[in-house]
Amino acid sequence: MLEFKLPDVGEGIHEAEVLRWLVKPGDQIKLDQPMVEIQADKGLVEIPSPVAGTVKEIRVPQNKMARVGDVLILLDPQGGSQKSSQPAKAAVAAQPASAASSVPAPSTNGAQATQRRAQAAPAARKLAFELGVNIDQVTGSGPGGRITMEDVRTFVAKPPVQTTQAAGAESAQADLLAARPLGATLVASQGESTTTESREPLAGLRRRIAERMELAWRTIPHATAFDEADGAALMALRHELQPNAEKQGVHLTYLPLLIKLLVRVLKEFPIFNASLDEERREIVYKRYYHIGLATNTPDGLIVSVLRDADKRTLLDLAREAARLTEAGRQRRLTLPELTGSTFTLNNVGAFGGGGTGVPIINPPEVAILAVGAIKERPVARQGTIIARPTLPLSLSFDHRLIDGSGSSAFMRRFKELVEQPSLLLLDSL
Amino acid sequence: MVVGDVATAVDVLILGAGPAGYVAAIRAAQLGRRVTIVDPGPPGGTCLHRGCIPLKALVTASERYHEARTGLESFGIKAEGVSYNWSQVSAWKQGVVTRLSDGVAKLLSGNKVDVVHGTGWFINDHEARVEGEHGSLRFTFDRCLIATGAEANPLPDIHFDGKRVLTPEDALALQEFPKALTIFGNDYIALELATIFARLGAGVTLLLPGDTLFDGVDPAALRLVQAGLKALGVQIVQHARPLGIAGEILRYSTGESANEQQAPLPCIPSLGARPRLANLHLDAAGVKRLPDGGLVANTSGCTSNERIYAAGDCLGAPALASIAIKQAKVAAEAMSGARVQYAPQALPLVVHTPPELATVGLSPQAAEAAGYKTVVGRFPLAANGRALTLGTNAGQALIVSDAESEVVLGVTLVGPRAGDLIGQATLAIEMGATLTDLSEILYAHPGLSEVVLEGAESALGKAIHILAATPAKASR
Repeated sequence: MLEFKLPDVGEGIHEAEVLRWLVKPGDQIKLDQPMVEIQADKGLVEIPSPVAGTVKEIRVPQNKMARVGDVLILLDPQGGSQKSSQPAKAAVAAQPASAASSVPAPSTNGAQATQRRAQAAPAARKLAFELGVNIDQVTGSGPGGRITMEDVRTFVAKPPVQTTQAAGAESAQADLLAARPLGATLVASQGESTTTESREPLAGLRRRIAERMELAWRTIPHATAFDEADGAALMALRHELQPNAEKQGVHLTYLPLLIKLLVRVLKEFPIFNASLDEERREIVYKRYYHIGLATNTPDGLIVSVLRDADKRTLLDLAREAARLTEAGRQRRLTLPELTGSTFTLNNVGAFGGGGTGVPIINPPEVAILAVGAIKERPVARQGTIIARPTLPLSLSFDHRLIDGSGSSAFMRRFKELVEQPSLLLLDSL
Repeated sequence: MVVGDVATAVDVLILGAGPAGYVAAIRAAQLGRRVTIVDPGPPGGTCLHRGCIPLKALVTASERYHEARTGLESFGIKAEGVSYNWSQVSAWKQGVVTRLSDGVAKLLSGNKVDVVHGTGWFINDHEARVEGEHGSLRFTFDRCLIATGAEANPLPDIHFDGKRVLTPEDALALQEFPKALTIFGNDYIALELATIFARLGAGVTLLLPGDTLFDGVDPAALRLVQAGLKALGVQIVQHARPLGIAGEILRYSTGESANEQQAPLPCIPSLGARPRLANLHLDAAGVKRLPDGGLVANTSGCTSNERIYAAGDCLGAPALASIAIKQAKVAAEAMSGARVQYAPQALPLVVHTPPELATVGLSPQAAEAAGYKTVVGRFPLAANGRALTLGTNAGQALIVSDAESEVVLGVTLVGPRAGDLIGQATLAIEMGATLTDLSEILYAHPGLSEVVLEGAESALGKAIHILAATPAKASR
């Protein structure tokens, strides 16, 4: 009988939620067949079976938390031969040195312990650690599979598709802070009496949000521009398209309309769809438009990614945005749906906020646009104050790459399109 | 409470100015942090003042003396009336120490590091108190590095007294040269102390706790070292157990035997070091210790208090300055916000015995135990032209590689300057070099480094300067 324990899914997380069992007791299971989905703070991790055999017993039921090392499931390996040869092989390959454990002593006199080590020069290892990459997961392009620095960078830019776990560009960035056993000890230390304060660990999605925000705020010099667009034309357009959309089973919100306008402006101002490669001090211009959508979930904010927004029709955008929002609420997003955005749109209006605020850039992006709710607000026109439906806008940008004049031009153009969306037709195919 | 007890705020406070502390101080300063370093003594720590540097100085002095007395005749050189003056040898040694220490002090001040002479301890998780020559100071730190080093492990029942039972540091600072002494241990310090005192004419008894001169090193290499020590007149006793001191005699037994033996005093146990953490009030700072006495820390050196890092011997790792220096840089960079870790693949070890021994990576035995199928190449120094022109033939090169990939896993060198040659082996292992890599590059000829080439080619079954008994195939 094999007791399968929750493996260390990396970056020092200590517990994870069992989201969904994909097998049940009595099932025949194949080697590497997905057994269970767990919710780590990075997103979904699918854990495959380490053996072929029969499922005997499920120890941790769905929607329960399990700690690293807890027995998740009892498996009866076929022929009983493979048990010890497969030590908890998850899709996740634990980091060789997990965050808060051992003293950094080198192994007695040499090559680190028993596992065959990845062939990589010290500089490549250093880079991998810096970028949060487990070098054992990188495929080397050099002779005999040697891993070059370029291989590490490529791995960060394009994580292998079927890996449901970490190590994507975004998560690698998020790892920047994980070198330290963040918070745990400080939070757990003594303090006020329990009657006037209560404490809970900064864990799961909340911790990830905290880390991302801290990273963004600490590394990116933010500047923010505010404006207000007249929303009458956009309201009218939506009103006009709505019945047709409904006929095709799509509920048309302002979001897909705004994405459509946004993509046009991003194409005209490529720097806003770029990122900064800090390692090489290069600006990376992207000719694909993956729009990050800030989505509220019961556990906190996540950014789902609407990929290839420039290649989609309005209806398509509406469907995809709705699907992502729903999947986000259920925490069912997969890694490609959580990583790789090139610009983020924060629809504050959808959260019930009236105005906007200072949105925080989602690294490695260089700007983020927040839009408020279209509401009637007082506007001064020709010496009188009148009520107009307006759309509050705020644009945070990375001042390293973008200047105030650039942001003003971007904002002016976006505002122009909001106020006169028919301009889109002028030069469209 | 001290009157006028105003806290001084610093970015980085460093406790201990040894190789870990001063290196971290300089690196942190390079990164723009304001650094204060605290040590009761001058900068340089155990390594510079009482350990490595004095040890190596005496290794050199004793080697020159011994060679002048006994090693020149074969070259046709006659030296008569060769003698040494112990106090002048010691003064030269001290001169080297002073010069290096002054150098470190200049580097610290040049990097605008504040040096405070005193002893520090934690008040809470972000403050430390320092009692020093200018009274009591309180520091508020953003980050703190513990680099307080380690001190010699004593024998269970035989305590250091500075006269009859000496720490290795005491032995290096002896005022009078001893006629005879006993060394207990099987590390590089024990072997080098035996070498120094034997070369300078003391009767040396070397008591080994087990049966090897140095754990984890290829037995063939150790046999060469053992022969060298014996040629110096060192009495080597295996499986020795010190029992106690009786007058001017160390009592010990060997193996299973109950018979008591006697060895001369002073006795110098060299049993590694234990972290020097006792007076730091780690509890006040929430810094946790390991059951074995070291500190709980991650690979970046961060302890259980995220403001406090540690580097060097105080962590409880093998007490080696090479480790301390690297850990210090990592900690300094991590304390300054970089994501870095201490993760070398291979640790070079050097012992200045006659002949010199150096090893890095895995021995054949360790590689097999780690699950590798190995191919091993050996090359004797007697077939190296440069060695013979240096007047020696005692030595060898041993190269261990993975049979499947040819990747170099370990190198052991015995012979002159092995400690310097091992650097290229370390680079090879770290870079993931293969036997073919080593055999494709050029080596100055005649040169000692050619033993690495021949060792690699021997593993490939094509060494030029030895006759291969069998084309090398997984020789075990």
